[in-house]
Amino acid sequence: MKGRFAVSASLMAMAAAVVFAACGGEDGGDGGDATKAPAKQAALSDKPMELTFLWFEWPPAQALEELGKEYTKTRPNVTVKVNTVPNPQWHDAIFTQFAARKTNFDLPILDSQNIGEAVENGSILDLTDFTKENIDTSQYDPYFLAAYGQYPQNTTGEPNPDAKTYGLPLLGDTWSMIWRKDLMGDTPPATWEDMIAAAKKCQDENDGMSGLAFHQAGTGDAAAVTYNVMNALYGGELWNQKDRKIEGVINDAAGKKAMDVLVNQMVPLTPKGSSNWFIDEVNAAISQGKVCVGFQWIAAMGGLVDPASSELGKTKEEILEKLAFAPLPKQVTDKKPLGGMGLHVSKYIPEEKQAEALNFIKWFQTPEAQKKWAQLGGVPARNDVLNSPEFLEATPYNKVFTDSVTQLKDFWNLPEYAKLLNVHSTQVNAAISGTQQPDAALDKLAADEQKILDESGGL
Amino acid sequence: MANTLQTPPQNAPQAQTLEAPPAARRFAFLTDRKLALLFILPAFALLLFLSIWPLLWLLGLSFTDYSATRDSGYEFIAFDNYVTVLTSEVVHARALTTLIFVVGAVGLQTILGFTIAFLISRRIKGRGAITTLFLIPMMLSPIVVGLFWKFMLDVQFGVVNSFLDSLGFGRVEWLTQQRLALFSLVIVDTWQWTPFIMLIALAGLTAVPKYLYEAAEIDRASEWFKFRRITFPLVWPLLLIAVMFRAIEAFRLFDLVYILTGGGPGGTTETLSFNVYKVAFFGFDTGLASAYGILMVIVVTIAAQFYLRYLNRLQER
Repeated sequence: MKGRFAVSASLMAMAAAVVFAACGGEDGGDGGDATKAPAKQAALSDKPMELTFLWFEWPPAQALEELGKEYTKTRPNVTVKVNTVPNPQWHDAIFTQFAARKTNFDLPILDSQNIGEAVENGSILDLTDFTKENIDTSQYDPYFLAAYGQYPQNTTGEPNPDAKTYGLPLLGDTWSMIWRKDLMGDTPPATWEDMIAAAKKCQDENDGMSGLAFHQAGTGDAAAVTYNVMNALYGGELWNQKDRKIEGVINDAAGKKAMDVLVNQMVPLTPKGSSNWFIDEVNAAISQGKVCVGFQWIAAMGGLVDPASSELGKTKEEILEKLAFAPLPKQVTDKKPLGGMGLHVSKYIPEEKQAEALNFIKWFQTPEAQKKWAQLGGVPARNDVLNSPEFLEATPYNKVFTDSVTQLKDFWNLPEYAKLLNVHSTQVNAAISGTQQPDAALDKLAADEQKILDESGGL
Repeated sequence: MANTLQTPPQNAPQAQTLEAPPAARRFAFLTDRKLALLFILPAFALLLFLSIWPLLWLLGLSFTDYSATRDSGYEFIAFDNYVTVLTSEVVHARALTTLIFVVGAVGLQTILGFTIAFLISRRIKGRGAITTLFLIPMMLSPIVVGLFWKFMLDVQFGVVNSFLDSLGFGRVEWLTQQRLALFSLVIVDTWQWTPFIMLIALAGLTAVPKYLYEAAEIDRASEWFKFRRITFPLVWPLLLIAVMFRAIEAFRLFDLVYILTGGGPGGTTETLSFNVYKVAFFGFDTGLASAYGILMVIVVTIAAQFYLRYLNRLQER
């Protein structure tokens, strides 16, 4: 009897669930059509207000909160707060709040690749009209505007007057090569293969040191960016945007050559057990004098010249006698990875907060704010500021970014990005860690990503 | 002999009329049954809103292509999500990883936990203090445990490798080599949860009646005989309950994987729970993740039912 009751209850529950599911849902509205920000600025509120950003935990986040104090000088009723989460939770922290249609942040800072997902879901404001009216876009490299704010992304590097804008640049970034000039000389290697040879020589000549340190972890975009750097340097492409083809493109001869160099020439020069390294571990290895050559995002390099966290010298000058910085060496191409993020406005906040957020964006893009941003350790995106002494002299490595601007290359900002990245990072890490052969890993990566792109689903 | 067949009295003694006190009369409508229902209601409401309703909601979503972040409604797709999960090669691989982990970790924990409990139960000095010390790992948050083991097992900076290096064994890639990474997860989980098994086993060992040992001693039984014929059979059913709890917990392992290996190297330490998390939050395939979760619940429920039946049969013997 008891058993019969349990079975009946289960069947009823199942039936109820199926009926509920079959009814379908219209909880959305018009999907993919984000609310437009007004071209003309709305009146700003005088009430005390906190403008909240959400980013991941790293030095630029603290610099942005510091910069917020400058904004408070112009808007005394507004305080700026930058909430942070660990890097692996960054995407989830923002998009789970978008899912709830209520955000405790006003300005989400999105990785450039996440724009597509946010736009298609209708979670951020369309800033096209606002930008045309309030921002001097001629001051920016068109590729920055495309990568940090436009969707669909224009990959030609030319200005696109019809592009829709959903964000504006907050932080520009790329990889810098960091090398031990005291061990390897002042002149940076001319090509990628020269760099590998120099790193090997340095490793062989210096007991206890490894040749290379770079991002290899299977989490976040660590290993994924590393492979993308190699792919671009060896003349490969991640996909054919026009035909939406990944298979046969990323794993063509250039792609396989890139994977082969990465796994068979570079990985053997890295410290043992470094296949789970990301930003912090690479910085630690360089600061502790364990590696000859390292690759790091410029915005994350502040600690390298800080004597408090370095064993290379007791003063900044002593450290700089040992470390040197340069753009990535070229190989078949001279492409460099585009990092950094854009500023966006949440659709799910009150209008008065949206108006204040737009006012902040407008203020942030002024040359004065951008120069202050550079002084605090941020990497601005305006051309005039990038070439100003305030930026170039702020750190010993800022020039690397200015010199790299015309060679930057981003990867997809499609709505399926998070799924594609998961496959990308897992398979590249599988090749790096030796759990799969390089060619097999690349072929699986291509097949799985093509499936995601074709079906916009799957596991 | 007393006459027991007396004629009953003609007039029955007048029963005293019992009147309820005023307060009780006011609540006369509250019968025992209604009162019982009233007491159960808050707990039932809590269960309904926090467990049953979400589970039904999840079940409903599992038949749709719903995504929590998309503002575009959803469609009924019947069993498509279930078919996708059950036929996915990735899911099969993660299921195998989870199975290896569950068998390895729970097996090791059972052997160690029972051994420690058996040793502690032998009237040693400071038994209470030792038991408390053993329980500390279980009281820590898995995230904290994961973080400090991650630092300890690091190849370059970790204390475990420094120690091994100083002994001349060289450095071991605990978290970045395919087989060792899963083994490390087993070790860390064992470090944290062996005390749980130990605690249950200790309770069972303490409850074994002393007269059984006394009788065995009179018969000059050996220590091995006493363990095999008295201690182990009496503790075994209790131990099996502990094993079931641990197996269910291990099946759901997420936190240690997230912190220690991130599923790497190359996804080889991804468990089913970790994979569900990825499906749910990387691209927000909520309907698919719901089906995945429901299937996991079904697997655990069926396995637990078989296990409980075995346990019942064991106790009936």
